[in-house]
Amino acid sequence: MITALELGLVYAIVALGVYLTFRILNFPDLTVDGSFTSGAATAAILITQQVNPFLATAAAFAVGSLAGLITGLLHTKGNINGLLAGILTMIGLYSINLRIMGGANVPLLNQDTVISGLREVAGVGWTSVLILAVVALCFKLAIDWFLHTDAGLALQATGDNEQMIRSFAVSTDRMKIVGLMLSNGLVGLAGAVVAQHQGFADIGMGIGLILVGLASVILGQAIFGTRVVVQATLAVVLGAVVYRLAIQFALNAGLNPNDMKLMSAVLVIVALLLPQWKGFRRIAQRRRGRSALQAAAKATLTEDAPGKKVG
Amino acid sequence: MLSVSHVSKTFFPGTVNERRALVDVDLHLQEGDFVTVIGSNGAGKSTVLNTIAGRIQQDSGTVTLDGADVSKLKEHQRAAQVGRVFQDPMAGTSPNLTIEENLALADKRGAARGLALGVTRAKRTRFAEALKVLELGLEDRLKTKVGLLSGGQRQALSLLMATFSRPKVLLLDEHTAALDPQRAELVTRLTTKVVQEQQLTTLMVTHNMAQALQVGNRLIMMHEGRIILDVPEQEKAQLTPEDLLSEFAKIKGAALDDKTMLQ
Repeated sequence: MITALELGLVYAIVALGVYLTFRILNFPDLTVDGSFTSGAATAAILITQQVNPFLATAAAFAVGSLAGLITGLLHTKGNINGLLAGILTMIGLYSINLRIMGGANVPLLNQDTVISGLREVAGVGWTSVLILAVVALCFKLAIDWFLHTDAGLALQATGDNEQMIRSFAVSTDRMKIVGLMLSNGLVGLAGAVVAQHQGFADIGMGIGLILVGLASVILGQAIFGTRVVVQATLAVVLGAVVYRLAIQFALNAGLNPNDMKLMSAVLVIVALLLPQWKGFRRIAQRRRGRSALQAAAKATLTEDAPGKKVG
Repeated sequence: MLSVSHVSKTFFPGTVNERRALVDVDLHLQEGDFVTVIGSNGAGKSTVLNTIAGRIQQDSGTVTLDGADVSKLKEHQRAAQVGRVFQDPMAGTSPNLTIEENLALADKRGAARGLALGVTRAKRTRFAEALKVLELGLEDRLKTKVGLLSGGQRQALSLLMATFSRPKVLLLDEHTAALDPQRAELVTRLTTKVVQEQQLTTLMVTHNMAQALQVGNRLIMMHEGRIILDVPEQEKAQLTPEDLLSEFAKIKGAALDDKTMLQ
């Protein structure tokens, strides 16, 4: 339970990164499968060479954003389809990640890591969960803030209406590259923390990560709503935690860990198909209708109130 | 202020679909000119606008803005000095952002977009003040998502946004064509008002001849990629839609069904 919560909060940073591309830029970016491992590999190698773990984690952000830069350049300057650009970078990164690590994995046993630091301060328990929750919230708030700056608004508009924002003198190419760099930077950083959490970096740790990110974003937004950015990012963070808990329950219930990727895929498929199903739409409509009714009732009540007073 | 010199553009050259959209077009606007452009479908009206905006790259010729050759600049680079309103009311605003956020985007045209907050209290007051001009009550709905507004409201907002940071040139591409008559009238009125107040150099494409005669100080008629008629201010005042039709027929040597013109 504690471990699942901790991991969920770390993966929340992945989910925030995926949210930036998938929701804000409307760009399905598969680079994350590669950049997650790149971040983990970079941090792991630096840590084994006695670099300060926080510095190593920051380096993972830089390497991740570099991966995003490549996908961005391929897509905008090279006119390569976004999905394909992401896949190309992801595949290329596989070899690069092996080069960085010099092998298929790098153990981090008995090394000073950000997680060993956390354990010294808080051990394994609710305190450590609380600290990680605060960290995840800091990232969420930073993204909230960024999306409301002049640059962030231009980023949002790029995903929303490209023609419009170009007519206001914004280079949509540049905004897409910025978004991809930021997103993959966050994913790389999360990869570094996950590696330190599990005690090793591994060449296969990023496989299927895009699904984890997507599942968190879709799950979170379905449960907690998306009305405004502040709410949407909170939903994404919570979605990552809920997803991790769901996986944990499934494993505790005796599911084979080897089936996990299939489960993630099925979960995302269900989340994407369900809203299209007529019966579901009817339920959603009824729910919306009811809330409209409630709102109307509330409005009439408040309007009635002064009248009653007079009466 | 704005010069289009010997601009030609051919779509799909060398194929069976080859279409000469612009043929050696020469158009020069003085500062503060408000020129209306009419012509039948496929006359090249929108292509002229898109060439000036940089959305379409001309095959030959140059576009000069305020004395500087902008022919090689990309669309977003030219947009620093060029405001545009599109025919589609959905095209000129960002639906998932609020009214105030859309205005914040418009406010930063041509300026660096950094990490300062897009909407501040001071800006909000300024935006609300500007929205009052539209007389649509939008100043009380600053936090409403633009996607929830009607087509007419969105087009009025698009116009305000396009002119918000005082561009050097304003391009209007049939921006009232998709609206009901009442809203079209409102947007036309707002257009005249804002162009007059800011003394904007404006090029407006329209299908509506009455509108073309009613607004602006100069009228241009296009046909098959050429400018076939250029009416200066003094003559324009006396023109009627009938005059325009017969003028068109005279120049082309063929009677023209006014339905094609009026659409």
